[in-house]
Amino acid sequence: MELEPARGALLVPDESGRGSHWLVLPAASQTPLPALVQQAIDSGALLGDGQIEGRVLLDAGSWRLNLSQLGELQRILGERGLELVTICSSQPHTHVAAAGLGIVSQWPNSTAPASPAKPDSELQVHRGTLRSGDHLETAGSVLLLGDVNPGARISAAGHVLVWGRLRGIAHAGCQGDNTACIVALQLRPLQLRIAGAVARGPEGAPPAGFAEEARIVAGAIQIDPAQPVWPISD
Amino acid sequence: MAATSTRYILICSGKGGVGKTTLTANLGIALAKQGARTAVLDADFGLRNLDLLLGLENRIVYTAQEVLAETCRLEQALVKHKQEPNLALLPAGNPRMLEWLQPDDMRKISAMLGEHFDYVLIDAPAGIEGGFKNAMAAAREAIVVTTPEVSAVRDADRVIGLLNSEGVKPIQLVLNRVRPKMMANQEMLAVSDVTDILALPLLGLILEDEQVIVSTNRGEPLTLTGNSSPAGRAYTNVARRLQGEEVPIIDPSKERQGFRAKIGRLMQTKIF
Ligand SMILES: Nc1ncnc2c1ncn2[C@@H]1O[C@H](COP(=O)(O)OP(=O)(O)OP(=O)(O)O)[C@@H](O)[C@H]1O
Ligand SMILES: [Mg+2]
Repeated sequence: MELEPARGALLVPDESGRGSHWLVLPAASQTPLPALVQQAIDSGALLGDGQIEGRVLLDAGSWRLNLSQLGELQRILGERGLELVTICSSQPHTHVAAAGLGIVSQWPNSTAPASPAKPDSELQVHRGTLRSGDHLETAGSVLLLGDVNPGARISAAGHVLVWGRLRGIAHAGCQGDNTACIVALQLRPLQLRIAGAVARGPEGAPPAGFAEEARIVAGAIQIDPAQPVWPISD
Repeated sequence: MAATSTRYILICSGKGGVGKTTLTANLGIALAKQGARTAVLDADFGLRNLDLLLGLENRIVYTAQEVLAETCRLEQALVKHKQEPNLALLPAGNPRMLEWLQPDDMRKISAMLGEHFDYVLIDAPAGIEGGFKNAMAAAREAIVVTTPEVSAVRDADRVIGLLNSEGVKPIQLVLNRVRPKMMANQEMLAVSDVTDILALPLLGLILEDEQVIVSTNRGEPLTLTGNSSPAGRAYTNVARRLQGEEVPIIDPSKERQGFRAKIGRLMQTKIF
């Protein structure tokens, strides 16, 4: 049986003014990523007119890219004088890799909440500890199965739920939802943010053995033992 | 004669000056003494000093740079240690090398070394930039060195994240410059504070020891002279554990007590 001819990557002009072009990866491909990108640039696979120059935005779709793959991509683009400035991806792993390289990353619009009033409609589950320098950001709520270490950040438009120890920085309701909450098995963050409110984490050892949650109460962030209910409604 | 199971180990830290090069030199000698053919690769092209610590500075003729450029053979560039012929150093090129060296070059070099050695220890530069990434490309597993200080632990954590995303495995921890008194008085992060955050198996615990500085200045690693100072023994134990031997970790808070007290100082190994 013949394999389907691989569909290539495309270059689409960017309208937001943040860059020259979007580099859009195909949903799936037999061709390895570097070759795919080389081809797109060499063949001038341009949708619309214009010269690619300067800053390029990457639409990685559901590609799960690690640090070395992204670094390689950055290098290929760099060789042609192109700078990778933003990555749009639906994969938490790709976001973590982007953060590792200091590249801004965003979630595709489709997974962004329709309005800040209902940010909890989407739940992203991420497995693994966030280490210093990592930044995980989600459009809906996030459930992290792991720790958030000092120096790492986790933020979500909805709730931040950490099945582990929260010792870095957490920001719930980062698009303005002040009903969002932060829950962790051990809540000892450096800093907490909910919507526009900021609080430094509590000092001293946490009470052993029960989860805590942070919410905005009367305009300020308050920490209490976690309520025994799942905070996300269907 | 190819060694099929060569172990390529990156020695890295994130933060500078925590003891990577000292560990590489001592571990290299200790492994060689234990009969393993060991190469140490100085991947700190900017601030090389592995040659100095091993006392081999004046015997360098060629470097990794010439090997890559194919102006000499690997055997010509390798500097064999006088007293420990099982150990060889592959010197870094000159600092300008940084500009053209690529991860692929490092992979090439380490593959060449793999044909002659059981262990390839790669002394990484501080930081997480290009130099570190080049060094990482040559490695399969890693030893992360840190001191019990908040900033060093934070940087180590960052490096572990990068190693994880590159699939470098296993990653083990060496805690260096431990001061038992300060730890006992809680003036310094405890061993458990560090292992708690970094969540890595502890491969060794090395005390703050002025013999390290003395040996550095002589160009004779502690493990070479069989020096029985606390750090010398700790480095030897790191090598033994790396070779798969079970050697219990010594409780630092009891190290400074009298000789007799030392008999009861073995920690419950289950803690680590
Ligand atoms: N256990 C120890 N006790 C006392 N001094 C130590 C110990 N370990 C390292 N040192 C000293 O710390 C200094 C830095 O050590 P070293 O050069 O090995 O660090 P490094 O991590 O390789 O540094 P760089 O990041 O600059 O490459 C040296 O002067 C060394 O002698
Ligand atoms: Mg060094």
